[in-house]
Amino acid sequence: MADLNDISLVTQVAVFRNKKAFDQLVRKYQSPVRRFFLNQTLGNEQLSDDLAQETFIKAYVNITKFRGLSSFSTWLMRIAYNVFYDHKRSSKREECGVRSVEGEGGYDPQRNLQSEYSPSSLHTPPSTLKMDIHQALAQLKPDERACITLQLIDGYPIGEISKITGIAENTVKSHLKRGKEKMANYLRQNGYDR
Amino acid sequence: MTDRDDLLVQDFFRQAARQQIEDDGFTERVMQRLPRTDSYKVHRLTQLWTVFCVAVGIALFFAFDGWEVLKASMLTLFSTSVTAVEVFFTTAPTTEVHLNPWMILLVVGFVLVYLPYQTARKLSATL
Repeated sequence: MADLNDISLVTQVAVFRNKKAFDQLVRKYQSPVRRFFLNQTLGNEQLSDDLAQETFIKAYVNITKFRGLSSFSTWLMRIAYNVFYDHKRSSKREECGVRSVEGEGGYDPQRNLQSEYSPSSLHTPPSTLKMDIHQALAQLKPDERACITLQLIDGYPIGEISKITGIAENTVKSHLKRGKEKMANYLRQNGYDR
Repeated sequence: MTDRDDLLVQDFFRQAARQQIEDDGFTERVMQRLPRTDSYKVHRLTQLWTVFCVAVGIALFFAFDGWEVLKASMLTLFSTSVTAVEVFFTTAPTTEVHLNPWMILLVVGFVLVYLPYQTARKLSATL
């Protein structure tokens, strides 16, 4: 029923450019989309909101490309995932430029991501729970983090995660397995198993 | 990865999964930043084309003495209607018309209930 309602709203946006219908879609999905970005950026609220805005604007501009083969939320999360990776690529490029100017070789993308989105660089002081989760997520590689959060926080099954990320299902399973092992080790080391 | 580890990780993320982020004006900010799309331009062009056609129609109406044509058409329509009514009243007493009351009820129901309901539903979904 929720999907039918979404399709009805999407049709109104696509055919009549009905902004009220799009407003309803944004209200409905702002929380999961912003939460997804918060988790990928390890709690950077300002950046998350900027990326979430970009996601919804891209969804609005390309809404006629939505064919209804998957649910609207999966389609929207795929855009969100692509927006995040575009942002990551562009910030890597900027970082590379800065490093080459400074004469520092040996660019490490993982280190770059960790430093850019480290929990200590949060713009606003988060709650203890948020800090814990973002510190834990910082232990993961970006793809592992995306797969883990999409499954354990957003509740997507492996097939949907594969559609959202464009990663093969077996690779998604590997990311989930490795990510969960790292998480379990981190949680045990920090006394969460007591 | 043991079942215990799996449960540990799932428990850790359970609370995060329940977290809902308040809108706090986010939707308004998105709606203000929405660009004008190609279909908006098409819609605008359609409106301009309609205005142009109406203007041309009005100009032609006055250029070709439209009032006289309209008057003649109305008179013809009126006289035809009067003739039709005369014919009906002249022939009605001798003509047997079988009317099914259920069919009448169905037609009246369709016109008075179903059509207004569907129109209102579609308008409320569009506006």
